Amino acid sequence: MTIERSAAGGRALCCAAVLCLLTTAADAAGQDLVERGEYLVRAGGCITCHVAEEEGAVPFAGGRAIESPFGTFYSPNITPDEETGIGSWSDEDFLNAFWNGVNPDGDHYFPAFPYTSYTGITREDLLAMKAYLFSLEPVRQPNKEHDLSVLLSSRLAAGLWKRRYFEPGRFEPDPDQSREWNRGAYLVRHLGHCGECHTPRSRFGALERDRALTGNPDGPEGDKVPNITADPEDGIGEWSTRDIEYFLESGMLPDGDFAGGAMADVIDEGTSHLTDADRHAIAVYLKSLTPPP
Amino acid sequence: MQRRIPVSIAAVASLGIGAFSANTLADPSPEDAKDYRQAVMSSLGGHVKAISLHVRGLVDYDGYLAKHAEALALSASEIEQIFPAGSNVGDSEALPAIWDDPDAFAEAVAQLKEATAAFADATASGDEAAMGSAFRDVGKACKGCHDRFRKDDD
Repeated sequence: MTIERSAAGGRALCCAAVLCLLTTAADAAGQDLVERGEYLVRAGGCITCHVAEEEGAVPFAGGRAIESPFGTFYSPNITPDEETGIGSWSDEDFLNAFWNGVNPDGDHYFPAFPYTSYTGITREDLLAMKAYLFSLEPVRQPNKEHDLSVLLSSRLAAGLWKRRYFEPGRFEPDPDQSREWNRGAYLVRHLGHCGECHTPRSRFGALERDRALTGNPDGPEGDKVPNITADPEDGIGEWSTRDIEYFLESGMLPDGDFAGGAMADVIDEGTSHLTDADRHAIAVYLKSLTPPP
Repeated sequence: MQRRIPVSIAAVASLGIGAFSANTLADPSPEDAKDYRQAVMSSLGGHVKAISLHVRGLVDYDGYLAKHAEALALSASEIEQIFPAGSNVGDSEALPAIWDDPDAFAEAVAQLKEATAAFADATASGDEAAMGSAFRDVGKACKGCHDRFRKDDD
């Protein structure tokens, strides 16, 4: 009896200990996931659009005006507020938005949300990003309606556009290239969505992929966006990988100048927070890009 | 470090007066004023680049980090005088906002002066962490000003 009882007690104690260990492990894993997600959200440059311009605006609550040749878009609230944010989204909803450019109601997103690049992000990375966003304080802030030209103001137009110009699909590493090249390709083409500004667009706003990263004379906010292929004249062929890494870390150009404009935000909010290894991978990938003839 | 800057300005000024008659200096042509300011702005870039190589530990020319920091602060202190009204001419990336919103421009320039002076002090102290953070502030001041007052033409 005593033995039994003590055995049962021991078992209970043991179970409690295991349970406790398991929860701690789960908490730690959850914490790791959130931290990984935070890093990826940084690399994805989410905050540069999903915060209003005003001083003191809440990060990720949206409201930033994004001017384009097609009208003004307002970034939505991506805090986990159930009604005005993305708090009610399932994992599948989240994946579907990034991979297919579709919201939980089945409506098409305008490509101001760069799912054209984000479609390549892995499931694992997206779910980490979701875990981070869902760990934030929910902010109640209704989204602002986009202000678009009449022809485009329908989500149907976005659907037609997608059918013609959008190719969904995950990133496929190139087995002939190094690990760091592939990491750089993933960061540049998909998560960092560099091409959304640095690749020229057709008059229908489609990225001209055969001229990827060769610069955009009419970029966001009407700015001219530079060529970042290895072209020695127009591009950054004269920059060393170290120059590129230091630029992404500090914003300093190889001649000691500091760029302003949208790239300054990308550096402050995004690339300056990356690991040295990731900045190096980006540099290795960019240096490998030969400009089209 | 900071205390020496006004002395250097005085030295430069007295050199100028020695070499030229006072009235040739009074009103440069708009084109000359533009050339001069572009030369000064390029020199800022040169010092920043040299400093960055020191700060990153890639070079170590004894004592010259502090000298570049001082020269940078000196050039920065000159900026408020080198954008005279009417000098927005020729091949230039200066935006009209410099002259249309002089208070905002003066504030941005004051920020750079402060950041470069603080960086010069930090290099004098030899504290590497303080130096790194002060250098980042210099970069921020450069970027902040270019953002609003220079054409984004890269």
